[in-house]
Order: sequence, then structure tokens, then C-alpha cells
Amino acid sequence: MSGDPPRLAQGREHVVATLDEIPPGGFKVVPIGRHGVGVYNVGGTFYAIANYCPHEGGPLCKGRARGRTVVDENVPGDAVMVRDREFIYCPWHQWGFELATGTTAVKPEWSIRTYPVRVVGNDVLVTA
Amino acid sequence: MTQTKARVPSTTEVPVRVVDSDVHPVARPGAVAEYVPDKWRKFLFSHPVGDTINYDAPDYAHAFAMRVDAFPEDGGFPGSDPDLMFKQLIVEAGSDIAILEPSSKQTIIPEATAAMATATNEWLANHWLDSTNNWHQRWRGSICAAIEDPRSAVAEIEKWAGHPYMSQILIKAEPRPAWGDPQYDPVWAAATKHDITVSCHLSRGNYETMPMPPVGFPSYNHDFMVTYSLLAANQVMSLIFDGVFDRFPTLRVVLVEHAFTWILPLMWRMDAIYAARKSWMSIKRKPSEYVKDHLKFTTQPLDYPEDKTELSRALEWMEAEKILLFSSDYPHWTFDDPKWLLKHLPEHAREAVMFKNGIETYKLPTTVPAVESQTRVW
Amino acid sequence: MLIDASVHIFCRDNKDFRSFLREPYASRGIPDYEMDWYGAPGGEYLSSAHGPDGQYPGSDPDLVGAHVFEYADIAILHPMTRGTLPDRHLTTAVLAAHNEMMVTRWLDHDARYRGTIRVNPEDLPGALREIEKYSGHPQVVQIGIPLQSRELYGKPQFWPLWEAAEAAGLPVAVHIESGQGIGYPPTPSGHPRTYEHYLGFMALNYVYHLMNMIAEGVFERFSGLKVVFADGAADFLTPFTWRMDTFGRPHLEQTPWAPRMPSDYLPGHVYFVQGSLDGPVGPDIDFAGEWLSFTGKDAMVLFGSSYPHFQNNSADALPSALPAEHRDRLLWRNAAELYGISVPEGANS
Repeated sequence: MSGDPPRLAQGREHVVATLDEIPPGGFKVVPIGRHGVGVYNVGGTFYAIANYCPHEGGPLCKGRARGRTVVDENVPGDAVMVRDREFIYCPWHQWGFELATGTTAVKPEWSIRTYPVRVVGNDVLVTA
Repeated sequence: MTQTKARVPSTTEVPVRVVDSDVHPVARPGAVAEYVPDKWRKFLFSHPVGDTINYDAPDYAHAFAMRVDAFPEDGGFPGSDPDLMFKQLIVEAGSDIAILEPSSKQTIIPEATAAMATATNEWLANHWLDSTNNWHQRWRGSICAAIEDPRSAVAEIEKWAGHPYMSQILIKAEPRPAWGDPQYDPVWAAATKHDITVSCHLSRGNYETMPMPPVGFPSYNHDFMVTYSLLAANQVMSLIFDGVFDRFPTLRVVLVEHAFTWILPLMWRMDAIYAARKSWMSIKRKPSEYVKDHLKFTTQPLDYPEDKTELSRALEWMEAEKILLFSSDYPHWTFDDPKWLLKHLPEHAREAVMFKNGIETYKLPTTVPAVESQTRVW
Repeated sequence: MLIDASVHIFCRDNKDFRSFLREPYASRGIPDYEMDWYGAPGGEYLSSAHGPDGQYPGSDPDLVGAHVFEYADIAILHPMTRGTLPDRHLTTAVLAAHNEMMVTRWLDHDARYRGTIRVNPEDLPGALREIEKYSGHPQVVQIGIPLQSRELYGKPQFWPLWEAAEAAGLPVAVHIESGQGIGYPPTPSGHPRTYEHYLGFMALNYVYHLMNMIAEGVFERFSGLKVVFADGAADFLTPFTWRMDTFGRPHLEQTPWAPRMPSDYLPGHVYFVQGSLDGPVGPDIDFAGEWLSFTGKDAMVLFGSSYPHFQNNSADALPSALPAEHRDRLLWRNAAELYGISVPEGANS
């Protein structure tokens, strides 16, 4: 597969992007590890999650980031979406995972590796 | 797709190790209409109809019940690009042969539904199974047959039997009455005359062909898709209790995407009824024997418990190696990856389920031309 | 110790039945007990269940008792009635007549009988009234509703019924209703051609109700509600729960009122009568105990004879492969816990 960027070595901190590359609501998949790592900017906070769904191995970061649904009996339809973009849903079976923790309340034992992210100056750094 | 060299099949053959019994090709807009007989064009195409979705899969407005990564770059619908399907299913997932099952339009007039089946078959043969699009020889097709119009269903079977790449007949389970009714006998007769397997993929209709459950409509896609299997269970009971396999002892039927773990308790239940009611029944064998000899089920979507050993036990008790066929359901959202599915099969059942049963059921070759960089599942 | 969780009772004849009806309902046209298209060829009932003087099977407490208490210590009675009739008021009156017959003729006559109060889900005020009337009776142990319905039992129009049952501390038993009611054909493909096909499929309709109740969050909302599927087919709970769970996670966003994995809603909420058609057969019978432990079914099953029906179940027919603990649960312990039936110290099967 020509044209793929070289893979970054695992187990160390990498500069994966500049701030303007990943604006709020955006994300970038960086080639760390076998499947890559998705780096997400959610309202100014950065998260990094393995680009691999533990269910059947789907490409997690091809899915749509959005919120989750909770009951609200004061609105038509009795449900609202909250915490928009804080969850990533696998593009295959739509399993949702909280970006901050890599898991969800319903099945905490099925979780995805998340990685520390920090911003230094204009750089986004991920340890993965 | 970066391949620029001529599409010529490799001269090296590889063994068929994964037969994928459920794959969905989709026509580009207007492509099937071309083949609809004139008499029915006005009826079918005279008024624009938008999406008719109810019981929507999760995130439907964005994913359309598909794998989100299966949308071609040209804006077409998943399954409409043979090259992308080849890349994602054959090369990346590692299915060796894919049984293509198009969705043929269901109408309220049997003859119109039959006309759509006729058109779908022409489209499939010309756009997927022809030597250009099937250069790799990995696609096999289905002869769509409108079961509710047995005369035309027979005509389609007669027309396509013998086509080198048509491997099965494809009917629906939603029309009434259930398959045991003698009105369908000409269809089983044609199928067994040509020794072609009859498959049924789950569909959906409207009103009583939703299929309407006897006790009320499910509320959500969740309870709808889970309880859908009861339609298949009912058809199994009809085939068996109405004596279809006595009348047609060589008939083979495959239930596609209806789940299968329910067949274990159903075999017990039917056998218990047979034991209690034998003197009132005219069938010749124990119901579970008919299941083992005449019926097969595709594996996707695999239903599994928290404790996977329970699934292993259930697979053992149902003699999974006799009745299962691997399937992926590419490009739908409920796709099962072959590598993942393989892990859940007991070792002794793997060859049968992953390819041997498929080769036998669909009369497939045991080797196919190799494909460059293909994932070898096992 | 043995509790028979399913004995069906009837009025002696129409004269007897109408004696429990008040006008104007006593003068109404009401179908008889039998189903025309779906009655069993050869007869619905055991030939031995017909009384020596032509009494309707299951209509005489002494005759029934002579049979049932040979093997059981307690029998849970479940009156069969005349169908879900188009006039819900009439249906309620018919059910009330059977409830009165059961209480006065059976429960008050013999302390070993327990009763199911039949109510009409299509007439909620009438149903709540009936629950209120009888929930205090010491031998009333559950509410009974038909399996047949035109809407699934998870839907909100039925919630007041679950609320009342929960408040009364009474489980709700769901059973195929006899008689010539109105409703839809019994299978998703319409009418079956054979009785045996009907017998095979009809009970499975509980799966539609149960999965809907789970997805609608009924057990979330009514944490004390217990439902008994009284036509058996507990075996199907396992594959359908596997499927419901497999697709549980993707559908959370559509059904936030049911936030847990579906199988989490089963323990303590769902029960089944276990009849003669239930359980593994053939060589698989050796694994009956193992199978019963899947999905926690061993805590859900209640032995039921379905006397006087022809598919009468007997404890002798239970697979020897069942471990003693499963046998105890099936034959009496689950029912004793569910129905609050006190059991002598050191009781066993």
C-alpha cells in the first residue's frame, strides 16, 4: 500500500498533530501501533483511543462521534441526547464507547485502550 | 482501487477455505428498472417513493443500516461497487467465495413481484456474474423467485438452472401462507428437478407481511429484529409438519440471517410433539431428522451468551457441523468477520461450517484462482 | 414436596356458568370453552378427566383433587374462559364469574388449592377492580391474562395493570386463552394447517411479549413485577436472550428507558411453567441439568401438569439427569418462593 505514512513506534510520546489540525469536534487517526490511534478534540479537551473495536475488530475511528441518549419525560419522545461528541460509536455494530475512559456503564469490562494526551504549545502529544 | 493491471484471474489456485453464504450486492439507481418487463414498468415506476424505513437500525440517518466504512467514494450505496466489495470482503476479510443475495422488490401483486424478480436476476447476471465483473470467479448468485407466484417462480428456476454462477434459488419467508401449503409444491418440484438449494433471506414487508406477529407489533428495531426469528421457526415447523420433505425428499433449504440457536430447542419441541401425537400425524420421520437432513442455517449474526462455553455446548448438541454455513452479511451493520466467527466454532466443526457445507450446498469448486494480498482467514 | 403450578378449571356446564353471571350478562351470547380451529383432534382433555356423570373435565374439585393430590401438595388453579370477546365489558363479566366460581367452589373448599384471578387487559378499570377485590384472599396467588393480544404487553396501555399487580404483590401469569375470541392468526405466517404445528408455535408468542417488555423498560419501571409464562417453552428463553443481549448494546441509544443488558432484567422477574413438551429430548436429555442452568432457567421453572389437558405432565417424566437441586426448584421451591407458599421444614422432592 504505497502512500501510507510510516508507523510510529509504540511506547513513547509522540507529537501527532498541531492544534489547528484538530479543531474542536475534529479528530485525526495517527499510525501508532497495529491499528492506529484516534485523537479527538472534544470541546477543547483531547482524548486518544485505540482505533480498534474489541467486539469484532472494526475500525473504530471510522465511526461517528456523538453523545448518548438519556430519558427525559419532559420532551416529545421522552429522550434527549447529551454530552455530544463525547462518545465514539463503532462503524460496524454501533457499540458506543466513552472517549475519556474507553468504556461505557452498561458493560465496563468491554473497553478500549485509551492513551494520555497533552498539549504543549501548539503541539498535541500522545503517549501510546 | 489502485490496481491497474488487466483483470485476469491468477493461474495459481488456492483452496476454498471460507464460503460466505450471505452477501448483498445493490443495484445502482435505475439499473434493475432497465430489465423490468414493459407491462409492469408503469405499475412499479409511475410514482416516486422515498425511503420506506421503519424499525430503523441504530444511527440510521447516517449509517442506513450499513457498515459505515462500506460506503463507496463515488457516493453510491454500500454493496453497489463490485470493486469495493471485492477489496473489503474478499481481500481484507478473506471470504473466498461470496453467495450474492440481492433484495428483490416485494409488491402486493404476485405477478408484479415476479416481474421484479425476473429483472433482478437479469441485472445480477449481467452486472456481477458476467466475465468482466466476475473475472476473479469469487461471486456466485441467487435466482430470485417470487414464491407467491409459483408459476413464474418455476419459470425463473427453469431459465437460470445451469448458469455457471447461479448457485441457489432465493425466496422470501414473509408471504402467506407458510411454505408447507401445497400451492408451493411446483417450486419445490422445480428446485429438486434441477437439484438446486432453496435459500431464504429475511426481508420485510407491510401489514401482514411485516411479518405481523400474532400478538402485536414490536416497538423498536431491538425487539423487532430479535423476534424476527420466530417467522423462520414457523416456516421450519410448516415445512416439517406439512410434509414438504416427505413429498420432496431431496429438497435442501437454507435459512439466511434468521439466527439459528433457536433450532436446538425447536428440534426438542417438535420431537416431543411428534412423540405425543404420532398417531395423528402423517409425516414419516422424527422432526429433528428432517432438520439435520434438509435444513441449514447461516451463522450471522452470531448470538452468543456471556459465557461462551454455553454456546460451544449448544453447538455440540445441535450438531452444528451438520447444519451451519458461515456468513458475513457484508455490507450490513450486523456484519460478522470470518476470523471472529471462526474462533467461536468448536474445532471439529470448523471445516464443515466455514467451507465444506458451503461447497456441498452450492456445488462450488474446492479451489479458486488466487487473489493478490488476500487475507487467509485460516 | 410438589407444587403443581398449572391446573386448569372450568364450570360444569353453561347452566352452571351462567349461574355466576348477573344480568344483563347472563342473557348475552357467549362462546363455549372449545376452540373450533385449534382444538386438538382426538380431544383436548385426558379421557380420564371426564367425570363419571359427564362432568366437564376440570370442573369438579373432588375429582380433580383425587387426581392432583395423589402427587402434589398444592395446586395452582388457572381458570380457562371463553375468549377475548369484542365487548370488553362482557369479557370482564365472564372472567369475574370464573373468579367467583374458583374462590367459592375451590379455594374456600380445600386449602390445598391456590388461585389465579383472571382479568381483562383490555378493560383496565375492570381489571383493577377485580385485583382489588381478591388480592387480600389468602389463597389467591396470581393474576392471569391471555397470551393472545392485539398489542404487546410492554406497551404503556398495560402499565397500570403491572403497577396494580406489583402493588398487590401478585405475579401475572400469561396463558393461551381458550374459547372463540377475536384476534390475529396464531403464527406470523397466518393459520397453520395442522394442530401439531399450532401446538408447536402458539406458546412461542410469549417471546414477542417478553422482548417488548424488556425493550420498553417494564422491569425497570416495575422492579417488583413478576411474570409467569404459563404455556412453557422456557427453553426458547436461552437463544432469544442471547440474541437480545447481542443486540443490546447498539440499541441502548434508542431505548434509554431500558439501560441495562436485557438478560439483567430476567432474574426475579420472569418465570415459566414447565410442561410435558419442555426440555431436551433424545440424547440431549443427559444434559438437561446443564441446559437448565443456562440463562438462569433453573430459578424460573415451575412444574405444571396442565391437567386436564391431554399433554398432561408428570413428575415421573423428568429426566433423571437433573441434579437434585434443580429437581427441587422445578418441583416446588421456585413456586413456593414465587407464590409465598410455606413449606414444611426439611421438605424435598
